[in-house]
Amino acid sequence: MQEFETVIGLEVHVELLTKTKMFCGCSTAFGASPNTQVCPLCLGLPGGTVPELNRKAIEYTIKAAMALNCSITEEITFDRKNYFYADLPKGYQISQFFYPMGTGGYVEIHLNGSTKKIGIRQIHLEEDTGKLLHLGNIISSPYSRVDFNRAGVPLVEIVTDPEVRSAEEARLFLQKLRSILRYIEISDCKMEEGSMRCDANISLMPLGSKEFGNKTELKNMNSFRSVYKGIEYEVERQRNILLEGAEVTPQTRHWDESKGLTKAMRSKFVSADYRCFPDPAIPPFDPPQEWLEEIRESIPELPDSRFTRFVREYELPPYDAEVLTGSREMADFFDAVLTLYNEPKNVSNWIMSEFLRLLNSTNTEISECRIKPEDLGELLNLMDKEVISGKIAKGVFEEMFASGEKPEDIIKKKGLVQISDENTLSKIIDSVLEGNPSSVEDFHSGKNKAMGFLVGQVMKETKGKANPQLVNKLLKEKIEK
Amino acid sequence: MELPNSSIQQIKTKINENTSFLDELGESVSQRCSKVQKKLNAFISFDPQFIAEQIEGIKNTVHNSKNLSLLGVPFALADNISTSEQKTTCASKFLATYQPPFDARVTSILKANGAIAAGKTNMNEFGVGCSGDSSYFKAVKNPCDTKHTSGNGAAAAVLTGAVKLSLASDALGELRQAASYCGVIAIKPTYGRISRRGLLDYASSLEQIGIISNSTGELAAVMETLFGYDPEDVSTLDAKVPAYSLMLDKNTNKIHAAVPEDWSDAPYLQDHIKILFQEQINKLEDLGIKIDLISLPHFRYASTAATIISAVEAFSNLANYDGIRFGYRGEAKHLQEMYTQTRSEGFSSKLKKFLTFGSLISTANYYHDYFLQSQKMRSLITIELDTCLQKYDLLLTPTTPFTAPKLDHPSPMNGELADPAGFYTAAANLAGLPALTFPVNGSGLPFGLHFMAKRENEIELLKTALLLEKEISFQKPEFDI
Ligand SMILES: [Zn+2]
Repeated sequence: MQEFETVIGLEVHVELLTKTKMFCGCSTAFGASPNTQVCPLCLGLPGGTVPELNRKAIEYTIKAAMALNCSITEEITFDRKNYFYADLPKGYQISQFFYPMGTGGYVEIHLNGSTKKIGIRQIHLEEDTGKLLHLGNIISSPYSRVDFNRAGVPLVEIVTDPEVRSAEEARLFLQKLRSILRYIEISDCKMEEGSMRCDANISLMPLGSKEFGNKTELKNMNSFRSVYKGIEYEVERQRNILLEGAEVTPQTRHWDESKGLTKAMRSKFVSADYRCFPDPAIPPFDPPQEWLEEIRESIPELPDSRFTRFVREYELPPYDAEVLTGSREMADFFDAVLTLYNEPKNVSNWIMSEFLRLLNSTNTEISECRIKPEDLGELLNLMDKEVISGKIAKGVFEEMFASGEKPEDIIKKKGLVQISDENTLSKIIDSVLEGNPSSVEDFHSGKNKAMGFLVGQVMKETKGKANPQLVNKLLKEKIEK
Repeated sequence: MELPNSSIQQIKTKINENTSFLDELGESVSQRCSKVQKKLNAFISFDPQFIAEQIEGIKNTVHNSKNLSLLGVPFALADNISTSEQKTTCASKFLATYQPPFDARVTSILKANGAIAAGKTNMNEFGVGCSGDSSYFKAVKNPCDTKHTSGNGAAAAVLTGAVKLSLASDALGELRQAASYCGVIAIKPTYGRISRRGLLDYASSLEQIGIISNSTGELAAVMETLFGYDPEDVSTLDAKVPAYSLMLDKNTNKIHAAVPEDWSDAPYLQDHIKILFQEQINKLEDLGIKIDLISLPHFRYASTAATIISAVEAFSNLANYDGIRFGYRGEAKHLQEMYTQTRSEGFSSKLKKFLTFGSLISTANYYHDYFLQSQKMRSLITIELDTCLQKYDLLLTPTTPFTAPKLDHPSPMNGELADPAGFYTAAANLAGLPALTFPVNGSGLPFGLHFMAKRENEIELLKTALLLEKEISFQKPEFDI
């Protein structure tokens, strides 16, 4: 059977975390009622001029371009992409068609133990459009209404080279991209809320061929999972067409999540000719070198170099390092714990098991979590100093997670300090031995299980606070006498 | 009082002497405007009631406003400059009832300085051209001969003393051409001197608001008031505004002017203008101005290049006229049909031809051959003029190749791409240079001398105009109102 190579290029749109729109002071907050965050400018009323550019939006785009290893344009220019549609108030979209903010970058993904670079063709800044609202579906709705709240919200578009080879690579790329953009704090990248959107250009070519096949553009994938599933489906669909000897029709297709298939979409515009030309109302702007340096310096350690450092310096297994560096907050948390408690593997184990379990089961973001890194460090110290046992520590940690209290306070309040005093323990053990003569007999007749029972009784008497090693030692001494 | 013969300073003094003069002033402005309107159709909006309200407003605050620079000065705005208290129609059916939600920057400045808005002047639809025949509200007649066009209402209103000053837009020279047809002074400042916020422009990179006046001294005073950086318009210049009135009195060095050697090659150049212009050159030389004929090989292509660029920009700038958010809306069942109906019915056939041309040459097919070539020509002309004005203080030409065309024969065009009226004026728009037209009166209709100066060097133009005003016993053209 003929084999094919999959060629995928991704176009990712990301909404920036600026407080105001690109060319006016309107709020960008999510979820307001329709047309409450608009003004004559973003509504495209006559006589609007472009005010001073939104420096934050430009700064964020440059920051993203730098974090994606792109070279930055020498002169910042904006262009108009002209087309008519009801959600486009000015009749054109301001974008960076001719000179994108950044070009020629890359992102690294980790795949089956090796590293692959996905090229970033370009990254540019543009404005979002409004949104059409319909009663039911667009065909049967008696009207179309337009909400212009999103019109003019700054968007960054990131376009990859056609170097993605599978649905899995696409998903890994998006996850890494989201991680990087969140590290530099320019977007919250929530696919479900639409602050990160991904379209995929997909084509197949015979293995070893140099000529790309006809491509389809896949839209409407609203989660990492649906990107994966949508691409898988589309690749399979195209493979079947090609195996039948037919040709793939170049078109835009919609991923239908509920039905699990892709559907051809009627094109929104009659012509693909967008009539792009430089915006005549926005003079070109040279970003000062010092400003660019400032932006470069504001970029924190990114996930890849942090991953390498965690593996090399802390000797963590790659899997642990990948999870811990997946988000900046988690990696920061880990680093912060280490400043108080320098046992990386212990900290990692604790985070990977207890902490992640609690975060997941309560659906909490690490940024909203009440536990402070220094408190976890302190808890681990208390364990090492045998002030509390590991078992007690887990309970204390859950309490810390729920209340945000310090471990010392919880331990003091609940009287959880480990009993490590030999005299005190001796007395308790003596009374347990006295009260359980049959178990002592069992032990002497060779039943080792009896030992476990007796330890359990001591722990019960002490409400779990007895130092387990010490109990074991003392009990053995006494019973074997 | 005789408004046409009172200066800005006299009006101010009289108001400060006795506030009851304001009533007389209001009455006089209303009467004058209504006569001019009846005879020439110079206004689209003119409302004696609105004038009376403003007079009342000034009366109530006059104790705080004694020193306002334009106290009591009646002005008119072309009907493509936004006014929140009056309609702003662009002389188009599309906006026949449109009232903007905000004032243009110039409107607010004039109001804040105590000036009185007398009315909105008639013009070509959307300010495209100066033929006087494309207004939805009919043509404006020339005060000097009502069988001829006045180009626009702004120039006619100033010549006839209906107002002391008027503002209109200038993308290819429309403002200066109309001033030339009517025998008044007009300046198109350096690109960026005056905020375009609130101007319903059709060609953003070329178009500026200019000022029409009967006197150089008063022009200087108005320039000081209107010029300046506007954070709401990124295309404004962030440059200090000179104190023109003070500088005017200072002695001038010997002026050195250049005239393009092929100035008489302009298509449709009238014989008597050829003779008059030559006479004026001799007079200027008598005044001590040194004049050289020089070679400017690209100058003659200015109006064609500017026409192509302006058509592309107009196609895009007017794309927001879609019937969705404001203005005229055609009856239709579907979005596409609504666009077609709205724009077919809302725009004149002349404007539609222009927009269609802009739409055509911005498609990928023609972009390189026409639009890009025009932008290259624009660079060449800019360099050519900047170089010329390094050496010379002024570049001198006629303002128009002909005097005001007849109303029933609006333009001598004969299938040319560019309006021949813009032959001498368009270069200043392409290069963003300041230019001034100064009236010359022969036996027939008036015509203008056109001066261009270095970027931001408007003072050179004012000094020259003042010299002409004093030395060439300047007489206003005769008219009968
Ligand atoms: Zn807005």
